[in-house]
Amino acid sequence: MTRSQKNRVAAVVRYAVLTVWALIVAFPIYWMVATSFKPSEQWFAWPAVYFPDPLTLDNYLDVWTGRQEIATAQYIISAQRPWLALGNSFLIAFSATSLAVVYGAAIAYGVSRYKILSDLRMFQLLMLRMIPPIVIVAPLSLYYSELGLLDSAVGLILIYFLTSLPFAVWMIKSFIDEVPREVEQAAEILGAPRWRTLLEIVLPLVRSGLVATFLFILILTWSEYLLALILSKTEVVTLPVELSKYQGTSEGRVYGRQAALSVGITVPLIIIGIIIRKHLARGFSFGMIRR
Amino acid sequence: MLLLQLYFSFHQWSIYLGAWHEAEFVGLDIFKEVFADSRFGWAILRSLAFAGGSTIGCFLIGFGLAYLMRKPFRGQALYYILFILPMLTVPIVIAYTGEMLLYESGPINDMISRVSGGDFKVAWLSNPSIALLTVMLLEIWNWTPFTFIIMVAGFASLPREPLEAARILGASSWRIFWEVQVPLLRPVIFLALTLRFLEAMAEFPKIWALFQGGPGSATETIPVYIFLTTWQYFQVSKGAALSYVAMMLMIVIVLGAIRLLRHEKRALDEMYVAPRSGG
Repeated sequence: MTRSQKNRVAAVVRYAVLTVWALIVAFPIYWMVATSFKPSEQWFAWPAVYFPDPLTLDNYLDVWTGRQEIATAQYIISAQRPWLALGNSFLIAFSATSLAVVYGAAIAYGVSRYKILSDLRMFQLLMLRMIPPIVIVAPLSLYYSELGLLDSAVGLILIYFLTSLPFAVWMIKSFIDEVPREVEQAAEILGAPRWRTLLEIVLPLVRSGLVATFLFILILTWSEYLLALILSKTEVVTLPVELSKYQGTSEGRVYGRQAALSVGITVPLIIIGIIIRKHLARGFSFGMIRR
Repeated sequence: MLLLQLYFSFHQWSIYLGAWHEAEFVGLDIFKEVFADSRFGWAILRSLAFAGGSTIGCFLIGFGLAYLMRKPFRGQALYYILFILPMLTVPIVIAYTGEMLLYESGPINDMISRVSGGDFKVAWLSNPSIALLTVMLLEIWNWTPFTFIIMVAGFASLPREPLEAARILGASSWRIFWEVQVPLLRPVIFLALTLRFLEAMAEFPKIWALFQGGPGSATETIPVYIFLTTWQYFQVSKGAALSYVAMMLMIVIVLGAIRLLRHEKRALDEMYVAPRSGG
C-alpha cells in the first residue's frame, strides 16, 4: 500500500469510529427530545416508536402551563410548579455562582500576585470539592434547621457557593497567571493608582476568563441534585428535584412529560456549554490543563 | 460540623426521640455496629468497583477519541461539540432518559432484537446482577466527555520536536505512541483518572433516581447507603457514624490524590512554560 492509500484507509476508519460514538451520544438525547413530542400511547409502545407521529405539543403544555394536574403519591404537581422551580433554580444558581466568582477572583488575584495561600493550602482548598457532599450533609441539615436555613434559597446558595469556590479560585487563577506582571508594573510606573490598574488593566484582560468561569460554575450548580434534594424539597424546589417528582405518579410513568421537562432543564446548559467549550477542559481540571 | 457528626456517632438518636441534644450517650456502640455491618462493607466495595470500572471505561473511550482527533480534519469541530453533549446534560435527566431507553420493552432492547433477529428483553433495570453495570454504562456515557476534553487538550499541548525526531529516526507509529506520546502525556492522564475517580465515588443522582440502591442491594454504593440510613430509615446516629467512616476513607483517598496531583501539576506547569521560553 502506498502512503496516500494508507492515509485514506486511516481517514475512513477514523470517521467510522467517530461516527459510531457520535450516534451513541446522540441517540439518548434524540430519544429524550422525540419522547417529549409523543402522544401518550407512544411513550411505551412495543416495538418502540422512533419517530413521533403525530407530533404533539401536549407534553409541553401539560408541564409548563399546568393544563393537567398530576396527582402523585407524595406531592401535588400543580399549575405553576415548574415555573416556580425554574425561578428557584435561576435565583440559586445565579446568586451562588456570582458569589463564587467574585470571591474566587479576589482570592485568585491574591494568590497569583501575592501568594496569600501557599501551594499546599491551594490544594487543601480542593478538598472542599473532592470530599463527597453526602458525608457532611447530615450534620449540615441539622445546623440548617437550627438556623432556619433548611428549605430556603439562602441555605442552598451558601452551600453551592462553598462547593464551587475551589473551581472558581483555581480556574480564575489560571487566567490571571497568564496576564504578564509587567503590564501591571508598567501601569504603576505611569502613576496609575492601584484600583485603576486593577479595573482598567487587569480586569479587561481576564474578562473572558471570568465569564467562562461564571458559565462553567453555573452548569455545575444548575444540575446539582443531592444537596438540593436533602436541604430543600418542599418549599424551595430546584428543577432537578422537581423532575424527580414525576417519578411514581398515580397514573404511572409519565415519560412524555418527564421528557418535556428534561428538555427544558437541559437546553440552557447545552447552549452555555457549547459557548464555553474551549474552556471546559480548564474548568474541570481546576485550571491545571490549558489550551 | 464535624463535631456534630461525631456527637451523633456517639449518641443514639433517631427522628422519633425528641430533641437531638437529649440523646443517650452510647459510647462506641454505633461505631462497633458500623464496623460489623457487612452491608456497609459491600457498599464500599461496590463504590470502588463502580468508580474504578467507570473511570477505566471513560478513560479508554475518551483517550481513543482524543487520539483519533489529535490532527485537524474536516468536521472536527462538529464532532467535538457532539462529543461534549453528555457532560452538559443534567445527571438526573440522564437517569430518567436512561430509564426510558432501557426498560424492558424500551428502544435499546428493541434495537438489539432487530439487529440480532432474536427477541431480546434484557432486564437492565430489574436484574440485580446487571443493575450496577447499567449505571456504570450510564456513568461512562455521561462522563466520557470529561476524559475526552482533557485528553484533547493534552494532545494539543504535546511538543512537536520529540515526535518529529522519533519519526526521522524511523520509529514506527506504534513505538512513537508508547515511547514518546504516552510518557509525555503522563501528567494529563493521571489528572484525568484521578479527578474522574473522585467524582465517580460521589455519584448519587443516577443511582438514586434509577435504583434507590436496588434491586435488592445491587447498586447500594456508599452515598446511597448513607442516604438510605439517614433519610429513609431515619437512623441518624448510624448515618452519622457511616458518614464519619466514609469521610475518613475519602480523606485518605483525596489526600493521596492531592499528593499525586501536586506532583503532576509541576510537570504540567513545566509543559506549558517550556514552549514559551523556548521561543
